[in-house]
Amino acid sequence: MASIDLDKMLEKIKNTQWTLSDVDWDAPGAEMITEEQWPKLKAFMADLMWIEHVGARAFAAMAKKAPNDTLKEIYTYFHAEEQRHANAEMALMKRWGMLEDNELPEPNNNLRLVIEWLDRFADDQPVYVLGTVVPMLEIALDGALCKFLLDTVKDPVCHQAFDLINADEARHLGVGFSVMEMQGHGKTYMQLVRMAAQLMDPRLILGIASYFPLLNKMRDNIVEMGLPEEKLYEAMKKFEKIGGRTEDGRRNPWFQIIKQHGRVVIDRRNRFYHKPIDALVKVADLIPRKAFPAVPSWVREITYRPTA
Amino acid sequence: MTTATASKSNGRKRAPARKQDAQATKEPTAAIEHPTATVLIIGAGFAGLGAAIRLQQQGVRDIVILERAEEVGGTWRDNQYPGAACDIPSNLYSFSFAQNPDWSRSFSGSREILAYIQGMVKQFNLRQYIRFGKNVSDMAWDDQSGTWKATTDAGEVFSGRTAVMAQGPLSNASFPAISGLEDYQGHKIHSARWDHDYDFKGKKVAVIGTGASAIQIIPELVKEARHLTVFQRTPAWVMPRPDFETPDWNKSLFRKLPMSQSALRKALYLIHESMALAVIWNSPLTRLAERIGRWHLRTQVKDRWLRRQLMPDYRIGCKRILVSNDYYPALQQPNCKLITWPIDRLSAQGVRTVEGVEHQFDCIVFATGFDVSNAGTPFPVRGLEGRLLGETWQRGAQAYKSINVAGYPNLFFTFGPNSGPGHNSALVYMESQIDYIVQSVRAIQSLGLKALDVREQVQADYNRDIQQRLAKTNWNSGCKSWYLTKDGFNATMYPGFATQYANQMKELVLKDYRLIKAD
Ligand SMILES: Cc1cc2nc3c(=O)[nH]c(=O)nc-3n(C[C@H](O)[C@H](O)[C@H](O)COP(=O)(O)OP(=O)(O)OC[C@H]3O[C@@H](n4cnc5c(N)ncnc54)[C@H](O)[C@@H]3O)c2cc1C
Ligand SMILES: [Fe+2]
Ligand SMILES: [Fe+2]
Repeated sequence: MASIDLDKMLEKIKNTQWTLSDVDWDAPGAEMITEEQWPKLKAFMADLMWIEHVGARAFAAMAKKAPNDTLKEIYTYFHAEEQRHANAEMALMKRWGMLEDNELPEPNNNLRLVIEWLDRFADDQPVYVLGTVVPMLEIALDGALCKFLLDTVKDPVCHQAFDLINADEARHLGVGFSVMEMQGHGKTYMQLVRMAAQLMDPRLILGIASYFPLLNKMRDNIVEMGLPEEKLYEAMKKFEKIGGRTEDGRRNPWFQIIKQHGRVVIDRRNRFYHKPIDALVKVADLIPRKAFPAVPSWVREITYRPTA
Repeated sequence: MTTATASKSNGRKRAPARKQDAQATKEPTAAIEHPTATVLIIGAGFAGLGAAIRLQQQGVRDIVILERAEEVGGTWRDNQYPGAACDIPSNLYSFSFAQNPDWSRSFSGSREILAYIQGMVKQFNLRQYIRFGKNVSDMAWDDQSGTWKATTDAGEVFSGRTAVMAQGPLSNASFPAISGLEDYQGHKIHSARWDHDYDFKGKKVAVIGTGASAIQIIPELVKEARHLTVFQRTPAWVMPRPDFETPDWNKSLFRKLPMSQSALRKALYLIHESMALAVIWNSPLTRLAERIGRWHLRTQVKDRWLRRQLMPDYRIGCKRILVSNDYYPALQQPNCKLITWPIDRLSAQGVRTVEGVEHQFDCIVFATGFDVSNAGTPFPVRGLEGRLLGETWQRGAQAYKSINVAGYPNLFFTFGPNSGPGHNSALVYMESQIDYIVQSVRAIQSLGLKALDVREQVQADYNRDIQQRLAKTNWNSGCKSWYLTKDGFNATMYPGFATQYANQMKELVLKDYRLIKAD
């Protein structure tokens, strides 16, 4: 597939916006959530919402580093769109009685680590690192999780909201993979060199350390909810397939690294990886709340209210 | 006279249907023609009035000034929003030939500047020249009579042997290109057309835009409104502003010893000249200025995310630099919120942003600036053979020394192409333009010329040089601004010191012009 025309994409993004008030959050159907589903769904939605929100912050970092004005504006829109997803998911939680008035769900400790990392270091990361990690997260977490959610939850309002969200996501992925291809093009050597330097950067190592457990933690959540693990892994394989569909894409060294890592996550038998990471999940859970610095103010920007 | 009208309507037929022609094509019902003046001036702002003063001082008194409003003052009549003030010190943002010892502050407010302009009208007895309520909608050169004909939207025709386009660079308020602008049912106010009857007390208010006007309005509105939301697209560099009241002893010193005021003016001028090094070109001083800007932000804004939202991501000087001490603090008031999400559209009740929320307001203030004619003219201007200046300028405005355009004889621009300062008082540049105009009018009179028309080649050479110099400036360093046309052509700014500009304007070099004697 040839790279998409980014100018046309931006135009399309601008012309197909939606707002929370496009959905009637009080329409019938909320009762379709079973009592058994409710507590697990609550935990799941809280995590999902935070992942969107964290994704939003990653796009904000990418907007700062974008190589041209069009891409900069696209990422600025994506930043806001991910926030919209978080807002819409919060509105669903509110609809299902999972939130008190003005309540903000607590991020779990793994997310707190990711938030901390993003807030401190994301803006310093070269755009091609985030440009590979973000589509990966989008496919694996967003894509797989949402699909699973829709398979389990019958509430039509949930389906309506995710139709809107998924339409946005399709464009995020389209742009994401296009950019990866752009980056892979002919610069392999240079990138390898820069990447090697990048790998030594302790800030990146911190980022990875908080990102890996996040994946494992989500895997646990999903299994808890009854999603076959394979679904998540299928999604990761999809990343491999789409990202590697062209020569340029395959040549992007970041694609290679993330792909390898994805394979390892899928392979439960790889104890060498999973033992310490699962341990990290447990360790993260043990970190006392007070040990974290105050959450950055962007974290409080989400809302379930369609109007302000 | 009849031939003149005929040739003008010919010109009109030849003109393609452009938006700006729409009002001009409404044919005058009963054309009133006025006697030909020596100098016909469009606009009674600083430029038009300043030109009249200097012409008068040189013995040219046959002047007509056409002003569409009912009052003089231009910018300072129109921009009466709360907090409106100049951002160049008043002692420099005033005419050297009409100094005012009584400025109350270092940066005076809009009303005080307006009063200063009104004072000049009295002092120099300019009222006699001004025709109020004359909105010029068409300018055409009549080669036969060697006169410029200005037609108003009411169909009146005024003519002059020479004409001065002093209609102002920032006089036509513009609304942003946001969809749904008409859908919004609440109260709308443009910063340059303030509604003084609207009471902000207890209201939920939005300000769209964070440019020069917005950062003056916001600190004032935040005191009035119940809640204020500020929508920002691009953050600007905001520098601290050394603003203070003028002590009384200072005013009386200036009155008793005008030399002391001239000395201060000179000092202020030199300080601003030195800023060119930071503002216009990328130099170590540019980095120093950026450090001051960052320091200002850091000391005034404690929250890391808000700081990030307010941090410009382009080189300082690329766009207009703003000065304010109370903008950042205002944004952090409990009843104020900065929103940086892109705006999707306006709805009946407010602003829909891309994060999916509709922000609802009683009133939206548009601090969104002006239509800048950097690739056209605000109304049709027809030169030799009816040539439309808007077409000549389609790909960016060009002139000789910012003041004349080949093919448009005896026509002078104040604030013409590439005359804008980024670092110094606009009035310093304006004075040079005015004196050049006075010289030219005197030459036309004394040499008995029908037409003084700059040579095309001379103009082209001048512009090649200007554009080469512009390529090395911060304005052309990659950001989007109103200085540039859609295609990134800089038709607005002068790439040099005010002193360089003044030097180039000092002398009218007749060999640069085609001189056509009157029969
Ligand atoms: C809010 C604001 C703050 C500014 N602050 C500074 C500053 O601090 N320092 C600085 O150097 N510059 C500043 N400027 C730039 C300012 O525009 C110039 O300094 C100066 O006032 C321009 O004077 P002017 O006479 O050329 O134009 P204007 O003051 O705009 O006057 C033009 C006049 O022409 C009239 N007119 C326009 N079109 C027509 C028509 N078709 N027919 C008849 N009449 C017409 C208008 O009604 C107006 O009265 C500021 C501008 C704005 C908008
Ligand atoms: Fe999303
Ligand atoms: Fe996404």
